[in-house]
Amino acid sequence: MRLSPYLYVVPFFAVFLVVGVYPMVYSGYLSFFSWPRYGPHHGDPVGFANYAHVLQDPVFHKAFWNTIGIFLLSSVPQVILATVIAAMLDTQLRGRTWWRMSVLLPFVVSPAATALIFGSLFADKTGLVNEVIHAVGLPKVGWHSDRLASWTAIASMVNYRWTGYNTLIILAALQAVSSHLYEAAAIDGAGRVKQFFHVALPSIRPTMLFVIVTSTIGGLQIFTEPRLFDTNLQFQGGADYQYQTLTMYVFNTSNSATDPYPRAAAATWIIVLIIITIALLNFAVTRMIQRRSER
Amino acid sequence: MRKLTIRRGGAVGSAVALVAATAAACGGGESEATQSELGKDDVLTITTFSDFGYDKLIDEWNADPDRPFTVKMTKIADWDPWKKTLTQDLQAGHGLTDIVAVEGDAMPAFLADGASDQFADLSDPELEDRWVDYAYQAAQTADGKQIGYPTDAGPEAFCYRADLFEKAGLPSDREAVKPIFESWDSYFAAGEEFVAKVPGSKWYDSSGSIAQAMLNQAEFPFQTEDNTVDVENPELEEVWNTVTEYSETLSPQVVQWGEDWTANFRNDGFATMPCPGWMFSNIKSSAPKVEGWDIVDAFPGGGGNWGGSYLAVPMQSEHQEEAQEFAAWLTAADQEVAAFDAAGNYPANLEAQQVLADRNETDAYFNDAPTAEILASRAAAVEPGRPYKGDKYSDILGLFQTAIQRVDEGSSPDDSWETFVQAVGSL
Amino acid sequence: MNRRPGFLVYGLLSAFVLGSVFPLYWSFVIGSVTKERAIHSPPPLYPGGHFFDNARRVFDQIDFWSALANSIIISGVSAASVVFFSTLAGYSFAKLRFRGSNVGMAFVIATMAIPTQLALMPLLKEFSNIGLAGTRTAVVLPWLVTAFGVFFMRQFLVDAIPDELIEAARVDGCSQIRTFWTVAVPAARPAMAILALFTFMHTWTDFMWPLLILQGSDVQTLQTALEQLKIAPAGGIADIALLQAGTLLATIPLLILFIATGRQLVAGIMQGAVKG
Repeated sequence: MRLSPYLYVVPFFAVFLVVGVYPMVYSGYLSFFSWPRYGPHHGDPVGFANYAHVLQDPVFHKAFWNTIGIFLLSSVPQVILATVIAAMLDTQLRGRTWWRMSVLLPFVVSPAATALIFGSLFADKTGLVNEVIHAVGLPKVGWHSDRLASWTAIASMVNYRWTGYNTLIILAALQAVSSHLYEAAAIDGAGRVKQFFHVALPSIRPTMLFVIVTSTIGGLQIFTEPRLFDTNLQFQGGADYQYQTLTMYVFNTSNSATDPYPRAAAATWIIVLIIITIALLNFAVTRMIQRRSER
Repeated sequence: MRKLTIRRGGAVGSAVALVAATAAACGGGESEATQSELGKDDVLTITTFSDFGYDKLIDEWNADPDRPFTVKMTKIADWDPWKKTLTQDLQAGHGLTDIVAVEGDAMPAFLADGASDQFADLSDPELEDRWVDYAYQAAQTADGKQIGYPTDAGPEAFCYRADLFEKAGLPSDREAVKPIFESWDSYFAAGEEFVAKVPGSKWYDSSGSIAQAMLNQAEFPFQTEDNTVDVENPELEEVWNTVTEYSETLSPQVVQWGEDWTANFRNDGFATMPCPGWMFSNIKSSAPKVEGWDIVDAFPGGGGNWGGSYLAVPMQSEHQEEAQEFAAWLTAADQEVAAFDAAGNYPANLEAQQVLADRNETDAYFNDAPTAEILASRAAAVEPGRPYKGDKYSDILGLFQTAIQRVDEGSSPDDSWETFVQAVGSL
Repeated sequence: MNRRPGFLVYGLLSAFVLGSVFPLYWSFVIGSVTKERAIHSPPPLYPGGHFFDNARRVFDQIDFWSALANSIIISGVSAASVVFFSTLAGYSFAKLRFRGSNVGMAFVIATMAIPTQLALMPLLKEFSNIGLAGTRTAVVLPWLVTAFGVFFMRQFLVDAIPDELIEAARVDGCSQIRTFWTVAVPAARPAMAILALFTFMHTWTDFMWPLLILQGSDVQTLQTALEQLKIAPAGGIADIALLQAGTLLATIPLLILFIATGRQLVAGIMQGAVKG
């Protein structure tokens, strides 16, 4: 038996075991114990008490809906906008490469930098957005205090950074659509817009599926943006937890007063299960829609 | 609670080599490390957060050819991340420096069973009287183990804008305003008069700082003496009702330490604020060009302390004896005076306080107020042991401040209170 | 679609690009005025003359150069390591037949769907238990290999190297590892460059992991140094002019990288999309 193929893949699995599998398993184990805040060792086994605590915590419920809300506000407009821009880029533009690079620009602005810049744009009293709103005679928006407004502000950061990236992915898929299909549609008398909806969109469904599933997994773990958006040092995601996300919840729980680590571990596992469930559902639903329309 | 970020270090006695070898080696934790002696070039490590004003002191120490050992300091920008690391490394049983700085409000959590045995006992009969009582005692467990030396203290005076007072027809002279700051009743009454006359300004800087000031005078705000959590008590409800009642009229309804709060220093946003010594430099740097700030030697309802930190020695240190020696040196009078000069942390060391009072410095920015004299007098007004800080003090305080912020942002006080009680319940 | 776009398309695209640039412009505007002006209403719309003042204050507040060096080292090591191990593994999965290779590849793909950020909390615990917390090593360890890298290289190498070529090398008496170096690596070069670029950017912009593992340490990356500017400015008081100047300074290195390699980045994303 040849050994080398195994040697080549071993480094990946070894590191993954150490930095991925082992800590997750270990935290799963600890989630069934108590561990006093400053104690050097874990305490007695407590069964599912830590899980029960997290599931009954109103803040966790809030964090769940916040995460879903921010996710929807970032992914839906983003996919639509990216598709529209991609359709516009999929033409005989002058300076094609330049345009493509330009839409990708925000991708090199790190999430932390994005969050700090948008945090200042959305500052409640002195931010530019509110000054503009005020100047046109509308009441200022409580970007940090109002729940929906804070979601919108945070989602705008995600959209800023990722729309261009997804545009390019969708553009690649659009370019792979055979021109014969368009020609056939044109012969049938379909206009540009109609061609787009009846020819282009159905052809790029697999790519859309890819974009949606990856953005689900990433979007549900959102952390950097809401954390840096937070104006007070408790990092609770607003005074009323209005934009605390699930990942922030884990982070905060690991610093709370009673059994911080085991509770955070329990929360971690609950969230992993939630995300996997949603990703699978997402996958199944999209597939179903795709099947139906193919029929 | 950005205030937590601003605490720094300060003071003690004069005798330099106060070595208290006795206590350091005893103690009970299982994470007790094997002790080893340090030579001149061996390194003793210390971590501080924010600015304790120690850079120069440590440079000088290391430049001394006769030093018993060398010191290396790690400076962390802020208390909160440092608290997390401290917690992690206490759990891990290693990783901490020989001396660690601990913020005052968090100290009670480290005094609890299970936590306190991870720190060396620093008690030393010769040092007991070096610091203001209330600061020293706040780092002592019920059975008398001393786990920290006070670096600084935050006795509170009140800062006020004399120019805005005049505009409202209130007295503005440092002596003449004292009656306003006699009691909370007189303070709020004057506030209502003020906002009626000067509609563009509010009476105080934030609801949070007034709540903090009132809490600092309560006896058992969050926990009873046996550390049972009890937030539904008349004392706390009184603070809550008062602060939320005046939120609309007297408070600018902004979060402490944020941009909007900072902006208010410059645009006449408010007229008064509780003022521990470390707040002076904040005011100056926020509003360098504003004229009219002054400091009154009075505080509604008595006195109060806001802030102050400690130096502690974890049991995992391998050089506890030297660590204690160095912590004692840093908190001696000369060094606390030096730290005050470097970073503005008002000393907890009594002799250092006296040195500053004798210098009789005045501050031109604050209309030549005798700052050191005022703070010494304010320190004397602080009642030791108040408020009682249980093991969850800083957690609950954070939740309480958040609850007030909710009301400032438009929640009904009842809803917000309910959320607060619930959140405290799941601590 | 092969149509000449009209005025409308150019207009809309320009608007989108302007929208993309605007936040950076705003950051520069705020970063170039005094801290008093920055929060004074109405807000400034044009840059002021204080950028260098603010930048100097950034350098006073945080150890910018050491954070920059850390970011470069960490991202560089991560990029090199990911490229090396992914090429090896990708080559193995793409071209070598061995027992368990399908299961292995399925596992790689599955791990791409796992919320890895959530493993970071327990990982922090593991690392602080063994005394690694607060070090550059700890930051880089989880980024030494990525499932995406393995997947990406496999997809590329499946088509990039004809099987006959490997056969030929083997017949010539090349050892396995020599075949890898002489056949696979040259063929994989374009993909390696793109993967290196991606990994570098990914590690560079990562915030949560360095934040967790470096908190309370004096080692910082550019991203966590920014957080320190936010939470602990001079005197503990918010200073957004300082913050925006720092944000912009921290963004400049990647902007330079983007200008230099933007074409490859665009190509890489579009290629990955078709394959993915």
